[in-house]
Amino acid sequence: MVGSPGLRFLVSLHLFLAVQAGVLKAAPSFVGSAACRTCHPNIVVDFFRNPHYKTQTMEGQPPERAGCEGCHGPASEHVASRGDKTKLVAFSLLQPKQVLDNCLRCHAESLGRAQIRRSSHSLAQVACNACHSIHKPRTPKSLLAREQRDVCYGCHANVRAQFAQPFKHRVNEGFMNCSDCHNPHGAQAANWATGARPRMVDAGLGNEEPCLKCHTDKRGPFAYEHPATRVDGCAACHQPHGSAHARMLKRPAVFTLCLECHNGLANFGTEGDGIRTTPGSHNLADSRFRNCTVCHMRIHGSNASEKFLR
Amino acid sequence: MSEKPMKKILLLASFAAAVLLAQQPVAPTNEPVGEARGRTFGNYNLLQSWELGYRFHSVGGSQPKYRSDVNFGNGLRLLGSRLSMNSRDGHGGLFDELVLSTQGLGDDPYEFASFRMAKNKLYRYDLLWRSNEYYNPSDPIAFGLHRMDTVRRMQDHDFTLFPQSRIRFFGGFSRNRQQGAALSSALFPDLLGDVYPVFSDVSRTQNEFRFGNEVRVAGMRINWLQVFEKWREESRNNQPARSPGLDPTDRAVLDSLANHEPYRGTTPSFRLSLFRETGEHWAVNGRFTYSSGRRNFVFDESAIGVSRFGAASNRQVAVSGDARRPVATGHLTFSVFPGKNWTITNHTGYHSTRIDGLASYREVENASLVFSSADFNYLGIRNLTNTTDASWQIRPWIAVHGGYRFSDREIRSRQVQTIDDYPYSLESSQNNRLQAGAAGFRLKPAKGTTLAFDGELGRQSRPFAATAEKDYHGLSARFQHRTNAVSLSAMARIFYNFNTVSLSVHSSKSRQYSFDGSWLPSDWFSVDAGYAYLHADTATGIQYFLAGALNSGQTSLWLSNLHSANLGVRTSFRQRADFYAGLSLTRDAGGQSGGAAPPLAGFLAAQSYPMTYLSPSARLSLRMHSKLRWNAGWQYYGYREDRFPAQNYRAHTGFTSLLWTF
Repeated sequence: MVGSPGLRFLVSLHLFLAVQAGVLKAAPSFVGSAACRTCHPNIVVDFFRNPHYKTQTMEGQPPERAGCEGCHGPASEHVASRGDKTKLVAFSLLQPKQVLDNCLRCHAESLGRAQIRRSSHSLAQVACNACHSIHKPRTPKSLLAREQRDVCYGCHANVRAQFAQPFKHRVNEGFMNCSDCHNPHGAQAANWATGARPRMVDAGLGNEEPCLKCHTDKRGPFAYEHPATRVDGCAACHQPHGSAHARMLKRPAVFTLCLECHNGLANFGTEGDGIRTTPGSHNLADSRFRNCTVCHMRIHGSNASEKFLR
Repeated sequence: MSEKPMKKILLLASFAAAVLLAQQPVAPTNEPVGEARGRTFGNYNLLQSWELGYRFHSVGGSQPKYRSDVNFGNGLRLLGSRLSMNSRDGHGGLFDELVLSTQGLGDDPYEFASFRMAKNKLYRYDLLWRSNEYYNPSDPIAFGLHRMDTVRRMQDHDFTLFPQSRIRFFGGFSRNRQQGAALSSALFPDLLGDVYPVFSDVSRTQNEFRFGNEVRVAGMRINWLQVFEKWREESRNNQPARSPGLDPTDRAVLDSLANHEPYRGTTPSFRLSLFRETGEHWAVNGRFTYSSGRRNFVFDESAIGVSRFGAASNRQVAVSGDARRPVATGHLTFSVFPGKNWTITNHTGYHSTRIDGLASYREVENASLVFSSADFNYLGIRNLTNTTDASWQIRPWIAVHGGYRFSDREIRSRQVQTIDDYPYSLESSQNNRLQAGAAGFRLKPAKGTTLAFDGELGRQSRPFAATAEKDYHGLSARFQHRTNAVSLSAMARIFYNFNTVSLSVHSSKSRQYSFDGSWLPSDWFSVDAGYAYLHADTATGIQYFLAGALNSGQTSLWLSNLHSANLGVRTSFRQRADFYAGLSLTRDAGGQSGGAAPPLAGFLAAQSYPMTYLSPSARLSLRMHSKLRWNAGWQYYGYREDRFPAQNYRAHTGFTSLLWTF
């Protein structure tokens, strides 16, 4: 509020000179979503199916959070320029961090996105619109540009090759999704392995590996835990995406997998002086002793046998 | 823009969405019927798509392996469906959005239904229901004694009250149930005895209830969630008939065996989170969780038979106890944005897991009675992780990032052994430290083209397992080029890990290369193709006994050269007929490792596992009406192992269906 007439004059003069010098420009203003229909009828006509439509219809939404301009910003200059993409927020022209900043204005509310600033995707400049398509979604719930597995395979072709193997989690068959185990928006440091890797695998609510959300019989707690599974995680022995080997094991024969850790050599294991080697009674020439789990059938943990024999 | 080009673009877009597909089952059909606008009833618009069809299959060779890998059968199926109802003005009665999609209902081995119902500002409800029939012969594992033929059904319900308001409430329920038949094995007359197959009736159930609340106060969100998880197992193992066991030279005979290990477990968890994310200068979020896993168990086994010395042998074992596993975690993430194009984040995570409990053990063998306390082994894991990452978009065409990771882990264990009625406790602890650095940059030399290079170098002191990451480095490069008609990508990645200690060495090397491309020259033709080569080899120092003699200083070698290729061609004739042909080929070429393997046939056979898995497919889709399509498809699965042909199979699967969309 300006008080005296003299001061009012000085402020007016200052504003006049600033406008003349081009320092101040009239800020673009909000025109409302109805104006967008003229040039973008195919988007507007079906927009009521889009979850973002609610921003347009909910009462009390400020214009900067409502309808088309809620994401694309005030459109008066875009309209005046007859569709100049540079005169509004066009996501195809934004840098990845700007895309992230825009979407997080509303979508920071989910805990699942709490780690998005440090996620491997954000660090790799993979922003929201790399996977999500707001106007042409293939999936009605999360507005993905394609089915989730195809979005992920688009960059992770090596993972597609793993899921093409005979033993695999049923992602291609539609029973599971990548996001059952991974959080593409970034995950907290894992509480298995050494915490630093893997980076996008989301722990279950019980602070366990996501594998145990389904494989509940392996979760324990057991009187006798197999420490490798609890300390280094399931991936110590299994290939979670897919494998050519039964039970998605890392090796075609169980005994080679076991012997690689149970070699009795120093520096490893809970006692730090070697993980127990197989006993002298285990003659590896005998096929029974090459099928370790035929006797050690409770290999994930047991309540009745320290050696997982029952 | 005129309507016709727009329509063409829409069609192109839907076509583009159909390419780059994973090699998924040939049904349900992906081809859209047309540009569905739905039907309007009052304030609601209804859009539906239903595909009803018949599946058939024919298998030659190993039926169990086919069931393990593919498992499609014969019969009528609702192959896929989608239904959505939306209020046109955002002010519906009971709901504003209703979405239902299903797949494989009827009797497919992979079924799901996804449902959402929501009313703006008032509530949102999500349901996901899934069912998987899984058969695993596991012939190469445990002599095929651990087969399983089970069904797992899972459901997740999530309800949010006032989803768009400052105060939100959450509630949810999840259920996971696994049931079916399986085989297991048991030892008799003692734990050094022969191996006997036993039948297993699997029954496992997990129920999870959760509720919570979130409040926005002074720019912060405070979110808490309480979870009660209950799980139980009631599986029973039985061998009711006389069984000679696996070893024909062992004279022991098992007449009957039954063991039952019912347990009840509960994991109440609490999670508290605070977060603030404005995107201007800084963001912070913290998370604390505590879960107190607890499980009460009983193990009861009775076995009757004849011992290896020809005497009658009866054994009964009873174990009971309870196990506890409290897990506490804390995470704090702080992000700062010093400039418009800068992001620096620091993340600290702390985890503590303690597994402890009490158990008693009782074994009755004929007239002798053994009673003792089972020596519950304690395992504690404490892990502190700190990660700092920074990324900087220097120019629109170049961005760099780097980071440093540090983990400090302590593992404590207590193993108790009772010798002459006196328990000896062996306590130990060890610390690991991991330090790793990562850096990379992204280039965008032209519109639609991206080049990325990343590297990571890590060192861990005293890794827990011989094969864990210790001295590793990874490098990767990625190229992507995307235009409206062409999409090309290539990736190369290496990851080498070396663990060298005084007596043993473990090294693993993996190299992965992939190329993908799709080409969409017109609205009636598209092709996509991909090839990936995944090489992995490991060499690990081992020692083992052979006829009572210790063999040391040998190396276990394993090698995999996996080639995976996929090809898909799609063509459309005047928007009336769509034809798709695809091919997926996975071939592990195996090979001979460079080093000297132990001179034992078992090791040599386990060095590599050459196999071929081939699956061509074709699908024809004819538009009979603007809302109706007739589809037919065929998919072949051929599996061949070079060394163990007993598991080979060839299977033809097919389907025919009607797809109705409006």
